[in-house]
Amino acid sequence: MKKRLWIYLLTLAVLPIKAQKLVFTPQWTAQAQFAGYYVAQKKGFYRQAGIDVEIVHPSVTQPAMSRIRQNLCQATTLQLCQAMELVDTGLELVNILQTSMNNAMVIVSARDKDPLTQRGERVGIWSVGFGQLAICMSIKEGLDYNWVRFSTNVNLFVSGALDATLAMSYNEYYQLMQAGIKLTDKNVYRFCDHGYNVQEDGVYMTRDYYNKHRDQAHRFAEASRKGWEWAAAHPEETLDIVMEYVNKDRIATNRVMQKLMLKEVLRLQVDRESKKREFRLRPDMVKRASDLMKEYSMLEHEVTYDELIAK
Amino acid sequence: MNNVFKYIRQKLSVRVSLWVVLFAALIFLTALGFMFVQSRDAVRQEAINRATQILDKTSLRVTGILNRVEVATNMTKWLVMRHPEIADSMFVYSQGMLKCNPDFYNCSIAFEPYYFKEYGRYFSAYTRQSADSILTTQGGSDAYQYFFMDWYLMPALLNRPCWTEPYMDMDMLTNKKEMVTSYCEAIKDQRGNMIGVINTGLSLNWLSQTISAVKPYPNSYSIMIGNGGTYFVHPDTTKLICQTIYTSTLEHKDTAMTALGHAMQNGEEGMRQLNIDGNDCYVFYKPLGSTGWSMAIVCPESDIFGGFDRLRRTVMTIVCVGLLLMLFFFIRIITRELKPLRRLAKEAETIASGQFNTRLPDFNRNDEIGQLSHSFGNMQQSLVNYIEELKTTTAQKASIESELNVASSIQMSMLPNVFPTCEGLDMHASMKPAKEVGGDLYGYVLNDSGLYFAVGDVSGKGVPASLFMAQATRLFRTLAAQQMSPAEICTRMNDALSGNENPTTMFVTMFVGLVNLQTGHLSFCNAGHNPPVLGGGENQGDFLQMLANVPIGVCPDLKYQGEEISTIKGRALFIYTDGLNEAENPQQEQFGDDRILDILRNTHFDSAQQVIETLASEVEHFRNGAEPNDDLTMMCLRVE
Repeated sequence: MKKRLWIYLLTLAVLPIKAQKLVFTPQWTAQAQFAGYYVAQKKGFYRQAGIDVEIVHPSVTQPAMSRIRQNLCQATTLQLCQAMELVDTGLELVNILQTSMNNAMVIVSARDKDPLTQRGERVGIWSVGFGQLAICMSIKEGLDYNWVRFSTNVNLFVSGALDATLAMSYNEYYQLMQAGIKLTDKNVYRFCDHGYNVQEDGVYMTRDYYNKHRDQAHRFAEASRKGWEWAAAHPEETLDIVMEYVNKDRIATNRVMQKLMLKEVLRLQVDRESKKREFRLRPDMVKRASDLMKEYSMLEHEVTYDELIAK
Repeated sequence: MNNVFKYIRQKLSVRVSLWVVLFAALIFLTALGFMFVQSRDAVRQEAINRATQILDKTSLRVTGILNRVEVATNMTKWLVMRHPEIADSMFVYSQGMLKCNPDFYNCSIAFEPYYFKEYGRYFSAYTRQSADSILTTQGGSDAYQYFFMDWYLMPALLNRPCWTEPYMDMDMLTNKKEMVTSYCEAIKDQRGNMIGVINTGLSLNWLSQTISAVKPYPNSYSIMIGNGGTYFVHPDTTKLICQTIYTSTLEHKDTAMTALGHAMQNGEEGMRQLNIDGNDCYVFYKPLGSTGWSMAIVCPESDIFGGFDRLRRTVMTIVCVGLLLMLFFFIRIITRELKPLRRLAKEAETIASGQFNTRLPDFNRNDEIGQLSHSFGNMQQSLVNYIEELKTTTAQKASIESELNVASSIQMSMLPNVFPTCEGLDMHASMKPAKEVGGDLYGYVLNDSGLYFAVGDVSGKGVPASLFMAQATRLFRTLAAQQMSPAEICTRMNDALSGNENPTTMFVTMFVGLVNLQTGHLSFCNAGHNPPVLGGGENQGDFLQMLANVPIGVCPDLKYQGEEISTIKGRALFIYTDGLNEAENPQQEQFGDDRILDILRNTHFDSAQQVIETLASEVEHFRNGAEPNDDLTMMCLRVE
């Protein structure tokens, strides 16, 4: 018996520990919005944490929400409002890492109008979600926007088919600038400046998976956080890594746009009050989002901070 | 640099040449500048015309093909609207579109959700070219919700048929990417409600090739941008789809590029000048039909104006070399032309050195230099004659000067330079003529009656005055020897020197005195002379108060009246001519009687000679370098 125990201990010491596999799906195509995860992968932070992470971007046929529902990935990034919607439908999710500390959503008006004056006008909204807060705001402010769901990019708005459009300050906002649209304080409405500052991107796992792989989840979150911190300290090298992913997936973007996006995403990670990169879900913001969405019938029941965090 | 200017100042040929070349350069540059500006404008206009023609032609070609798509789509839409309730016929129409138009990329006839209830939420009759066959399928699904696609939304939202922004389409079978654009039209029912959209896709490879082939100049290239400024045709393929005309301006502000982008987006047609990647370029742009896209030809300025710039450089080189050659030859020619002048200058130097008979060169020319040489010859001849005359005159003058020197010696010998040394008498006198010979005189005769002395001043100066003075001196000595009284001497002298004896009406002022050396008694006669100064007395010297009388030689038969002073023993008597009191300094101020009196009063009498020398020194000092204006004679005597 003693001899067998020694053999077992020796085997553990000599043989390399096989890294645990984890499929991670960011909620959009390859871009600087996910720079921290690319860095963690490229710089070996995941490997050092003993996790074999595979980053699989969503496709038209398999968006991020579908992938986690179908257990095609073990971790995904979701906006807080999206996560709450899923939790409300009965899919228990755990936020293992919160990256965004501020809301990035804006409304850009065509023809240099103030979006708050565009009652009943046609406003573009992503067909895959993301617009929950805007819908609440539209009802709350009595604007009753005529929402037009679009799949991707800003072409509808640029062609003049829309009166306004929702945009992310790190993505579509710059796409609009790149399309020659003049953006001013007047024609851009920033949700974060009008009492709708609700956190966005965070990394989620199903509670079921989390409960079975707590250690792996924590190591993955820690390595991802390390990736983001490294990205903040080395933006140019990070950009090189982002462009590798972008070019591999043949995404129609360019280095200038990704540079701007990275800068803005990193800015959004700094908490307005503490001026720090906190990487935590704020209970007040969860409450704010839940109250708003429940008030305007986007949630059946309140989704609490405790329901989302890792216990 | 200073040496260059000095050289230019010294060289007439260089100076004249530089002025000529400078003016020529000015004229050349003005003319060429005008020509260059005009020519450049012409070249520019030619480039504009050329680019405009190419743009028009390309636009026409593109519009022609796009029109085919629009017409075919319209036709199919008409068929669809005839039987909108038969779902299966949509597959036939969709397939028919591509069969009839093999160059079209795909065709979708898509309907609103649940329009055909038997097909569920999605119905899109989708046909596309694939390799050598045509594939028709049902296009809509949960994975491809066409309702949210631009091509489906745009015609409804814009309420008109439209072209979508080009996009990259991936053929899953061949894994080949293709840039595609779609023409889409809303399908409406009889009540005007939208029931679906018909969409015809067109590969833009041909458009890309057509536009890329537009290359009016060797280094020019063409671009095409979409509604959002995205590059769909660009020689740098990394920019295709990925970048817009504004991308570079996000990092580095470029107002010219931004303005071009806006102009192209707004469907304007025109030309702009801007710097692209460090090269100055002309950009000619024009919208492509009703698509909202815009095409531009970018022509580097060096290409457009390459020929013109070469011509300009060549012409400027020729002009510069020509001007330098002009300067060189002008200097050479002017130097050659001025060579006689230099020789003439050299000969003039020789003449100036005294060689008046130097033979002047004959240049055998009738121009200005010939005339100058001729005039110079005349001048030389005149100079030779003048020098000869000058030589004669100088010799004559030397002779006269020699004679005058002799006359001066004779005159000075007539005046005593040795004075009596008898006991109780101290006497000294001097005469300094203003010219070689003077008209002043002094003299003394010592005999039993006492000491006769006289000081006189003949009117005028020079030789005539000296001759008159000689006559007067001789007369004084003769008459004094006869022991006459001073008044009688003056009367007799006047008789001798006036009337017919004096045709030149000259006269002489004189002071004649006789002093008894024992008693100091002074008898004197003043014939119009300056009053002498008698030392001693209350004021330590005063002008002698006496009768004026008329100068000798003025009026014949005049009897002069004498005067006397009982004794002048111990008192110095100073007699002088007007060369003393009327001596002038450079400011033409006169020495004056007061100054004489002042000096004499303040001079301690050591000897008669010392008094004379003191006054001579004071006058010299007063004149301060001014030439003497009259003869100066002084006499001083004192009886103890």
